[in-house]
Amino acid sequence: MNILVLVKEVPDMEKVKFDQEKGVVDRSSAEAEINPFDENALQAAVDQKEKEQKNVTVTVMTMGPQRAEKTLRDAYARGADKGVLLTDRKFGGSDTCATAKTLAAAIRKIGNFDLILCGEKSVDGDTAQVGAEVAEFLDIPHAYYVEEIRNLDHDSVQVTIENIGGDRQVRTMKLPALIGVTKNISRPKLPTVNRKLESLTIQVETITLQDLNGFMSEEECGFKGSPTKVSKIEIPKEVKKNNQVFREDFTAFLQSVTDVLTEKGIV
Amino acid sequence: MCKGMDNKKQRGILVIAEQSNGEIHKVSYELLNKGRELAEQRNMPLDCLLLGGDGIPAEELNYRGAQTVYYMKDSIFSTLEEYTYKKNIVAFIEEKEPEIVLIGATNFGRSLAPRIAAALCTGLTADCTDLQINDEGRLIQIRPAFSDHLFAHIKTVKNPQMATVRYKEFAEAKRDLKNLENIIFVKPYFKQTSKSTVDEMIALDDFDITEAEVIVAGGRGIRRKEDLAMLEELAKVLGGKVGVSRALVDAGMAESSAQVGYSGNRVKPKVYIACGISGAPQHLAGMKDSQVIIAVNSDPSAPIFQIADYGYVGDLYEVIPQFTRQLRKEDAVK
Amino acid sequence: MKENIIKALKTIVGSDYVLTNKDQTASYLYDEVEEAYRPKANIDSIVIKPKNTQDVSQIMKLANENKIPVVIRGGATGLCGGCTPVEESFVLSMERMNGILEIDRKNMVAVLEAGVTLMDLLEELEKSNDLSFPVHPGDEGAQMGGMAVTNAGGARAVRHGVMRKHIMGVEAVLPNGEILELGGKLVKNNAGYNLMQLLLGSEGTLAVITKIVLKIYPKDFYSATIVAPFENFEDACQAVMDILKNGNLPLAVEYMDKHLFVGTAEMLGLEWQAKKGNADLLIILSEKNERQLYEACKEINEICEKNHSYETLYAGKAKEQQELLLIRSQHYEYIKETICDSFDMAVPVSEVPAFIKDLKMLVREYDTNTNVIAHIADGNVHNDILYLEDGTVPSYASELKQKMYDICFSYGGTITGEHGIGKIRTKDLTLQKSPVELELMQGIKKVFDPNNIMNPKTVLM
Repeated sequence: MNILVLVKEVPDMEKVKFDQEKGVVDRSSAEAEINPFDENALQAAVDQKEKEQKNVTVTVMTMGPQRAEKTLRDAYARGADKGVLLTDRKFGGSDTCATAKTLAAAIRKIGNFDLILCGEKSVDGDTAQVGAEVAEFLDIPHAYYVEEIRNLDHDSVQVTIENIGGDRQVRTMKLPALIGVTKNISRPKLPTVNRKLESLTIQVETITLQDLNGFMSEEECGFKGSPTKVSKIEIPKEVKKNNQVFREDFTAFLQSVTDVLTEKGIV
Repeated sequence: MCKGMDNKKQRGILVIAEQSNGEIHKVSYELLNKGRELAEQRNMPLDCLLLGGDGIPAEELNYRGAQTVYYMKDSIFSTLEEYTYKKNIVAFIEEKEPEIVLIGATNFGRSLAPRIAAALCTGLTADCTDLQINDEGRLIQIRPAFSDHLFAHIKTVKNPQMATVRYKEFAEAKRDLKNLENIIFVKPYFKQTSKSTVDEMIALDDFDITEAEVIVAGGRGIRRKEDLAMLEELAKVLGGKVGVSRALVDAGMAESSAQVGYSGNRVKPKVYIACGISGAPQHLAGMKDSQVIIAVNSDPSAPIFQIADYGYVGDLYEVIPQFTRQLRKEDAVK
Repeated sequence: MKENIIKALKTIVGSDYVLTNKDQTASYLYDEVEEAYRPKANIDSIVIKPKNTQDVSQIMKLANENKIPVVIRGGATGLCGGCTPVEESFVLSMERMNGILEIDRKNMVAVLEAGVTLMDLLEELEKSNDLSFPVHPGDEGAQMGGMAVTNAGGARAVRHGVMRKHIMGVEAVLPNGEILELGGKLVKNNAGYNLMQLLLGSEGTLAVITKIVLKIYPKDFYSATIVAPFENFEDACQAVMDILKNGNLPLAVEYMDKHLFVGTAEMLGLEWQAKKGNADLLIILSEKNERQLYEACKEINEICEKNHSYETLYAGKAKEQQELLLIRSQHYEYIKETICDSFDMAVPVSEVPAFIKDLKMLVREYDTNTNVIAHIADGNVHNDILYLEDGTVPSYASELKQKMYDICFSYGGTITGEHGIGKIRTKDLTLQKSPVELELMQGIKKVFDPNNIMNPKTVLM
């Protein structure tokens, strides 16, 4: 059984800073780390490995600059067997569509994956699109918001979907299939110190555009292959606290509060 | 991997309505409201596609502004399953060729829309908070990223231009019974797939305090455990949850699962209403990042007022019930 | 409290900032000592919230002239009843004096008003991205003034020592209203008696600290926490000793009885991941760069393995480390219902294993148990006395406490490593200190505060 986990490297959201004037994210302001949601996907895959005892191999794949191999090393420390890094300057500027196409091309090239896992969404882009798009490009079924893998055998997977249309749903999909998981699917475990130290020395496989020859063309990837273009970035000014304290005038207080509740879409 | 559409012929705005258990999701009406605005700017038709089983009041979508409602009626659509939905919607779009497709960013919409976009080889912008038409007549999709720290304006260079929109982002379109009923029934293009089967559906239960959009929190100003019911009522009207400060947990008046603070739950709801909470640093650390903070306290020097957007110096036993009554009244008027 | 006094106070700070209503003052009377053994507050005390040093000076004059006791209240995160008024008092709540006056990068000092919380300071330093302040008593609601007068400690004392090491100057108001500037931005200052150091640790019995000149430091960018489980407590202690000798000094080394890690994690809806072993260490590392961090990790791991540890675990992400620390810091919530007294003894680091072993043997004589939580690499050990099963205080409680102290003294220890004497250990202090030393303390107190209005019944009986 071959399980593939798609992960993304994101800046630490608690620390990342934004340049209000230039309208850009200052990526140097925060250490990059594995997208927190993807940790749950990785752990869910490693859990299967420990549970099934039937020769499960976990591969982790990410697309990004060379430094993103750090994320793959971290995944190794947490129990993955190997890491694949898709990196090429020509991949730069990819939107979700081009990213998904590139991932799908690499998946086809490597071949032989039974189950593909990804996190619910990334904390930076927050689009939650890449997983379903990869599934579409591979023409395999997918399920999102999966909170539990109930059963995994050689040709199908049964999952529980946390909430879809107000219901919890149990679904069976033929393999290969892709599932996007929620935080509830697993509890990420700490790596051992030994495995962590070992991860610093492992080999990470690298795939460039050239390696994908026959699976995708240059026109399909990167900025060129992206149907969506960012035309402007706006960084909202930090909202100043209103800080209005009312004393006797209850009506005015009530009015202000009702207004703000309406504005926030609460009432 | 996919073939795109010719970029010129497409016309019109298509809203894909969402239904669950035969009930139309309100986000569909919100999309129709925004869709109407865009359609008028571009002088284009606004249509709606509804997939579902028998007996859905599709004419509602007309009343809310859709000129034509295409109702793809079949029992296979009674279960929400992306693969089958996608196959049918893609075939429909390829036939009708709309220029803009809008989908609600519900869980199902967020899962379904990317598959449709990928199949059509076009772009998709998720969770838009606003949509505009630029000078060239193209759709500008505005969405937050980096946990709402920034807003990106996005254009799609291919057609259809697709976007999902968060629920409760736009107001619902007004219901106008004068609108003509115009429903066209469409046969499904594809029947169920064997690749993916829904085995079971189970109705859902509650959610935890860190997920609540509104938190009504009580502190030392609450004298007895029973008085928390007053806050429960307000929370109910606002669709929120009740939280407490450490003082109430220590006094055995509430469970620690409801505790907000440095050592309890750290929350950042849209609206935090602090009732009788003085605002010890311990507590502030757990809620200061809330979008709007409202505080009611009898002590004008309570630190909570330093960080509150709206504060009222007064007795919460008078203020809160009055507030709840007022909100109920407004609800009733609507 | 007399009407004219209240009126005078309102003239000084404004009527909003004098609280006399008991509903409102109720939340300004206690710190975090458990109800079972905290001092009883005088509920007729009133709360005053000064805005600046001048306000404090005028309030002190008024108090001194009328011989009204004054209790200073910071973040109220203390654990010895220091800020609880036991006589009808002015409670000075410092929350409005929360100005960060200066971050001086040239001298690497911060000038702060006393009411700045540790969280305010850390947030301010975080903005610069390369500065930090190391002392962390656990609760970031603690205020700088409080941390200074209680000489706060915390887990990171292993590498950084306690609060008094980091304070270079203070502004203080004497009971008669005089304002004093002590110390400053000077690294070397050898002019006469060091009165500033005398105020640090005086627990509000000598003067009111209104401003602080605090050392700040370059930030360590890389940190990790190692969970090292051992079968035997002795092996864990030996590993700590070896780590301290090794030169890669950790930021902190924390020990807690295994059942506390497991139980607290469960209470928090988490899971304690070190399944094997009976004695777990949390070793927190903090280094300038990644290479140093991994090197330290490797060496410490080798030391643990040499001392027969089970497989050690690595927490590298901030979130993972916070989770471990949360389990460590929340243990108190887990046990607080079951304990009727708790301690803060400290012994020389080398004596920790013998000390803890003796404590555990001692409680067995009474057919009870004691929870041990230790900042193990600085010798500070927290333990407790448990209620009987029926929820009553055991009759042997004071005898047991006395015996615990005796063991502590036999190892050259102190009854309080970091929490302080406050109001709950004034009697115990007389067990530790010689009459000569106590007399000197009393003499000093008289010089500063002849009318004994500053936090009476604190430190000295």
